[in-house]
Amino acid sequence: MSRPDWIVLVLTLFAIIAYGLYKGRTSRDLDGYFLANRMVPWYMVLLGIMGTQASAVTFLSAPGQAYTDGMRFVQYYFGLPLAMVILCITFVPAFHRLKIYTAYEFLEQRFDLKTRTLTSFLFLLQRGLSTGISISAPSIILSSLLGWDIVWTNIFMGGLLIIYTVTGGAKAVAYTQQLQLIIIFGGMFVAGYMVVHRLPEGVGLSEALHIGGKAGKLNIITTGISEKGFNWNDRYNLFSGIIGGFFLALSYFGTDQSQVGRYLTAKSVSESRLGLLMNGLVKVPMQFLILLLGVLVFAFYQFNPEPVFFNQSQLDLLARSKYKDSLVILEKAYGETEKTRLQTTSLTRQQLQEIASAKAGYRSTLKRWLNDKEVGGDDNDTNYIFLRFVMDYLPRGLIGLLIAVIFLAAWGSIAATLNSLSSCTIVDFHKRYSKPLSQEKEFQFSRIYTFFWGVFCVAVAQLAYNLGNSLIEAVNVLGSLFYGVILGIFLVAFYRKRIGGTAVFISAIITEALVILLNVLGRKGIISLSFLWFNVVGAAGVMLLSELIQFFSSKLNTRHKD
Amino acid sequence: MNTEEQEERPPLFKKWSTWYRLVIGSLVLLILFFYFLTKHFS
Repeated sequence: MSRPDWIVLVLTLFAIIAYGLYKGRTSRDLDGYFLANRMVPWYMVLLGIMGTQASAVTFLSAPGQAYTDGMRFVQYYFGLPLAMVILCITFVPAFHRLKIYTAYEFLEQRFDLKTRTLTSFLFLLQRGLSTGISISAPSIILSSLLGWDIVWTNIFMGGLLIIYTVTGGAKAVAYTQQLQLIIIFGGMFVAGYMVVHRLPEGVGLSEALHIGGKAGKLNIITTGISEKGFNWNDRYNLFSGIIGGFFLALSYFGTDQSQVGRYLTAKSVSESRLGLLMNGLVKVPMQFLILLLGVLVFAFYQFNPEPVFFNQSQLDLLARSKYKDSLVILEKAYGETEKTRLQTTSLTRQQLQEIASAKAGYRSTLKRWLNDKEVGGDDNDTNYIFLRFVMDYLPRGLIGLLIAVIFLAAWGSIAATLNSLSSCTIVDFHKRYSKPLSQEKEFQFSRIYTFFWGVFCVAVAQLAYNLGNSLIEAVNVLGSLFYGVILGIFLVAFYRKRIGGTAVFISAIITEALVILLNVLGRKGIISLSFLWFNVVGAAGVMLLSELIQFFSSKLNTRHKD
Repeated sequence: MNTEEQEERPPLFKKWSTWYRLVIGSLVLLILFFYFLTKHFS
């Protein structure tokens, strides 16, 4: 990176920290630290919700996803607006009426202590680990792209935000997320403009879309239905997006404290509702535009040399392996193919197909080498596509701004999560299981727990780097395994008033075992079910089983009385 | 009318249900728009 890039990056990051410290002054009690004294207006609730959901990987991965697989990923968000409506009708008024700090407090009031403790523990376990991964994932990308030391990158990615999150709590998180999102959207808009600007003369946005469309990248709506019937293993289609995405969004926004904590800071029920509904209106178009950036980058590479593999560090790895001589030959042959493609003005359809097939062959060979156990490389370069374009083609200064965008996206999401991890630790465990504390002590412990979780997440990020893909995959699976069951508990709490704590607790344990079994069967290839459906199975399983258990236990009790 | 009821009144519309219909309606329109884009550029 050049000096102007460094200046832009450092100034942006320090401006956010200073702004967080300045705006984060709050009352020294739990209301001030975790709920910003319930004074946040709807537009800050909206930005808080969006900033918490959109991590660094969202901005890195989504354009790459569109580049390789097309825009069908946007369907994953189709269930979100529907979930926002259900939240506004049911969850938000209940949470506000009870004046709770965490979503899990509600479960004790509705069921019992053991159900509250179980769900809060699952949240701490899953969120604590996954936040470590959300630090690690962009750090690995930046360190391999820019040659930065991974330990320092992890510390900057997950550590600097601790300063304002510990000091100012929810208020600092809300204000910094506001500024962060403005910078992020500004940066992404400029990047989009630059891609179109760098297209050859006579090729504009419309032509770029046609190029992407011809290559199948504008496959926005897919049904997942073929001659063989519906593909249950297809992750992104209209049906999995609406149904699976609805359950995922409902569980994430309704039961995950990192999100619940954002709309609990609102001035009133109306402000919370408005923030959530606006999220329902803008989230899908926003995700569409981020994916569109990937299609534009794809169109750009139709007129410019496309790298054989976007992650240069993996090519360097091969250059040090037994494949080094073969790599030289392959890169030369690939370069010749690209030269032919770019220099010949009128290629026939057959020639174009031959070139595409040759390029796919070179990439497939590279991937096979990277998968060799002796090499131990990573054959997925999707997350590197957008940043590689930024590094190779954008002007100085703008590169620094887009690297800052990655940091800010990570910070917004991590800061909200640290705040929520701390609130659950003190409210659901420390205060609930120990002697009463003074207001000042509660405030001090809240800060200590925020700091502890910050350090924990950075340590997990470092561990994820050392252990490689195995930990990252395990944590990602962990999230999809628990979400549905937790949602099921909340749905029973809201909609099935006669079901008691023991029935829902037992059904949650049984359904969780069933979801884990489905995951194991899926991994062994015995069944074929995409992870989005786990949320549906988990939520529906808890609701049905708790109904049955309650019915039979009532029958038994009646017979016993007779 | 008490304070809580006044707080519950949504901006722009008389009822929250109008807001909900707006959100769901905009999703339907977006899906139709995306379907058109998919067909047009394929």
